[in-house]
Amino acid sequence: MQTNFEHFALGIMLGQSDMPPKDNGSLCFGAPWQRQAFGMALALSKQGVFEWDDFRSELIATIAAWEATHDKSDPSWDYYEIWLTVLETMVERSGLGSQGAVAS
Amino acid sequence: MERFEHSKDREAVNAARARALEALLIEKGVITSETVDKIMAIFATEMGPFNGAKLVAKAWVDPDFKTLLAEDTMAAVEKMNFVTRGAGAEGEHIKAAINTPKVHNLIICTLCSCYPWPILGLPPYWYKDPSFRARAAREPRKVLSEFGLDIDPSKEIKTWDSSAQIRWFVVPERPAGTGGFSEEQLAALVTPESMMGVAVVKPPGT
Repeated sequence: MQTNFEHFALGIMLGQSDMPPKDNGSLCFGAPWQRQAFGMALALSKQGVFEWDDFRSELIATIAAWEATHDKSDPSWDYYEIWLTVLETMVERSGLGSQGAVAS
Repeated sequence: MERFEHSKDREAVNAARARALEALLIEKGVITSETVDKIMAIFATEMGPFNGAKLVAKAWVDPDFKTLLAEDTMAAVEKMNFVTRGAGAEGEHIKAAINTPKVHNLIICTLCSCYPWPILGLPPYWYKDPSFRARAAREPRKVLSEFGLDIDPSKEIKTWDSSAQIRWFVVPERPAGTGGFSEEQLAALVTPESMMGVAVVKPPGT
């Protein structure tokens, strides 16, 4: 039975606090940058730049930090913005680029 | 808390951040400009659910075939000339659960390998996850809402457990706005998720 990394990566998020928004069973992106951030994270993990579990731990922790400082119904909630922040953090940790290089 | 502050042109800032990150990774030779598209194509094109889609489309246009599919699924499948024999013979005993305005069907499996693959392709990873199966049996409405599918409270949700003997698949409801569609056009609308019951078939262009 062949299981591809993409299905596995998404599968272990199902029902967890870090699960991406879904619409009628499918992933849904509100803007091209969200899809870009999502695809980059999967690609980097697939290549071993960071472990998927480590990315998820950071994502879960960042979501928890947001929830600790905001009302659950706060309209400023943006799943993929948090995702992007986590991705920048993971890239920086991997030694590929500094915050300065990413932000420039 | 400063780390979650954002500016008024938030969307533009986020788009610029994503662009900058991609540019950095391309510059470092970690990814190419095609990497994201390649990864996302895996989500867009599922593996081999085309046979099931053909069955569903035929059931939508041919009431007699729909009846046969419900009463004697294998006889209906035989009519389609699919390759259901051979490797593993996983398609030997397939049964259809037909969605209606009153009933939404969801298929699960308490074993790991069973899934009507000649019709639906290979199961996605999460489908074989024990917690998914247990929760789908216990609280199907909640699990479906996690898939972004909110079933009308007036609808009954039936959960079908596939086994080594019988493998279920769902015939979703035909979406509105498809009058005059050919079987081929209809089949193109059917997704593997809709044949597992974790999604519905959306009207074209939605």
